[in-house]
Amino acid sequence: MAAVEINRVGFLVLREMRRPIMTLIIVYSVAVLAMTLVPGNTINGETQHLSIFHAFYFVTYTVTTTGFGEIPGEFSDAQRLIAMLVLYIGVIAWLYSIGSIIRLMQNEHFLNALKEHRFINDVSRLSSGYVLICGFGDTGSLLARGLSENYISAVVIEFSSDRVKALALRDYRVHIPGLCADASIPKHLIEAGIRSPDCKAIVTVTNDEEVNLRIAVLARLLNPDLHIIARSKAEVYEEMLASLTDHVAVIDPFKTFADGLMMAIYNPVMYALDQWLVGAKGASLEKAVCPPHGVWVICGYGHMGHEIHRVFEAHDIPTVIIDSDINNIDAIPNLISGRPTARTLRRAGIDKAVGIVAATADDGHNLAILVNARTINPNLFTVVRQNLHQNEVAFSAADADIIMQPSLVTARRILFKLIAPMLKQLVVHLHKRNEEDKDYINTVIKRLLNTAGEKTPHMVTIRLNEQEAPAFIHFLKAKNPTILLNDLLRDPRGREYSLATTALVVNSGDETIVLPDDNYLAQEGDEVLLCGRSAAHRLLVASLNNPYILHYLITGEDLPRGWVMKWLSRSSWQQKTDKVSV
Amino acid sequence: MNFDKVIFGFFIVLALTLNFGFFLGEFENPDHHNSYEFFAVIVVNFIATLLKLGDRSQIGAILLAASLVADLQLVTAALYWGVSTHITNTGLTPDVMSSIVSLSGGALLANVISVIILVSETLMSRR
Repeated sequence: MAAVEINRVGFLVLREMRRPIMTLIIVYSVAVLAMTLVPGNTINGETQHLSIFHAFYFVTYTVTTTGFGEIPGEFSDAQRLIAMLVLYIGVIAWLYSIGSIIRLMQNEHFLNALKEHRFINDVSRLSSGYVLICGFGDTGSLLARGLSENYISAVVIEFSSDRVKALALRDYRVHIPGLCADASIPKHLIEAGIRSPDCKAIVTVTNDEEVNLRIAVLARLLNPDLHIIARSKAEVYEEMLASLTDHVAVIDPFKTFADGLMMAIYNPVMYALDQWLVGAKGASLEKAVCPPHGVWVICGYGHMGHEIHRVFEAHDIPTVIIDSDINNIDAIPNLISGRPTARTLRRAGIDKAVGIVAATADDGHNLAILVNARTINPNLFTVVRQNLHQNEVAFSAADADIIMQPSLVTARRILFKLIAPMLKQLVVHLHKRNEEDKDYINTVIKRLLNTAGEKTPHMVTIRLNEQEAPAFIHFLKAKNPTILLNDLLRDPRGREYSLATTALVVNSGDETIVLPDDNYLAQEGDEVLLCGRSAAHRLLVASLNNPYILHYLITGEDLPRGWVMKWLSRSSWQQKTDKVSV
Repeated sequence: MNFDKVIFGFFIVLALTLNFGFFLGEFENPDHHNSYEFFAVIVVNFIATLLKLGDRSQIGAILLAASLVADLQLVTAALYWGVSTHITNTGLTPDVMSSIVSLSGGALLANVISVIILVSETLMSRR
């Protein structure tokens, strides 16, 4: 595909340059010919003529206005006459040619072709796996930032040229090429490398639901094995997307949030852990946010209001809804129609309510609702929806208990689907265990606090295979088939210490082990989801690549390095191993 | 204490110190640069290189590369010394001597790098 595009740009240049180059060839050949034919000065009765070489030399420096003078000898007046003509015509021919190039350079279509060509080159140069992001709005840019922080490359297709320009100015840790184009046109998806084996997933987060759906369908057709992650805020589209096949993951930020809010009400500790794992701002393992039980007021019955009402209803939590758009609402009790103002809030019984959800699609309204409701009832638990990322400061100042930013919820969900797909298994496991044993979650939290600390954790998925852990595979095959996972997580600077990280989930063949215990034996091909400090993860990756460090971690002995040392210490080695085996 | 590390460290540091000793002195003055000391520098450098062979780690590769650079510079200097005293018979003129000493200065730098890597790797561990 890339070769075809190179030809396209090259072809455009050649087609535009055909006439100017032809002109130059004709002007040069006529000028050279004329200069050789014109008689020069007579020396010793012989008329001198310029040779073709000298004539070409003269024309070269004359038509480019360099003007070295009359070389090789003084010209005759006839030669001077021709020289003048050559100069004027030649200079005009050059101006015409250069003008053509400049005109081509200013041609919008040519520039677009050039940009596409560069983009394709950029994409083909991305070495490791990358993620294709369609749409670079709030969600897309948050996602790109998150991916770059985990050193995963991405390719962006965005319709608005302003956003693509903004992308070019970001300082990412990895190269993220961007193309200004409509992502729902198959050609652009192919240009972005959707068919490349390096393309790991496609994320559709444009603002248009129709476009997202179209991209998902195209992606399924163009690359059937590709992982598709689509954002959708409407039920109809979700159903259509889900029916595409099982490789599709649909992210609905409002549904995600509503379930999270329910978790916060019924299981605050679990919610705190969840928020801490995904690195939410202000999340803490030590103090959980506890939304109260009682009557809730929901302002705005759009998609968010809908989802929250659904989960509240499912858990028999009484709600009062305020919305001005009556058509939106199908037979719900406790409905107050009208804009959420101090009057309607009073009618909704805000003074007796325990919590309020400001869920309209307008940030100004949401903040106003928050202020109004608080003046009437200062003890309210407040949940507020922040639609635009740019209003961050205002929402921070409003000091709500929970700020729901749809783009952030979506970006985070997608990011963790990409970098830590096994996290879901942990959450499922915790929910299951939590029903049997309420204290289990606290022991897990204690364990995480002891290893990873209170700060936002770094998560990484490590694969124990030939590419990512060559030293481990070598040790496993050559020496000892039983290696404790815990031994790998020792500190290479002193094995009696452990690295600041915990293995959350291990995928071993068909088996999934959540929170493996101290006796878990690491196998070849295991996928391990780790949660801890990023410095610890760097050390771990280094040990998995260095046979000496790995040997030390597992056995506690320093291998002799180099052939001489190995030979020198051979005898003492044997004694040591003998002792161990005895 | 690890006996392997003692031997390894000993030769790497000795290569540096001998090299430094030879390098010291007036640049062009043959009286300040002892030929036996130069001989010792080359021998110890060869031993240090030998000890580094066969290390499969990244750091081992860099250590070996630094040692090979030092060897190359020292062998070049030795050849130059031999050729100018025995084959062309120019003797140890100031320009010959300064070339030899500057080549050994390059080897000195490579040996400094070796020692820095060795020390920093050791300091990394809490053992």
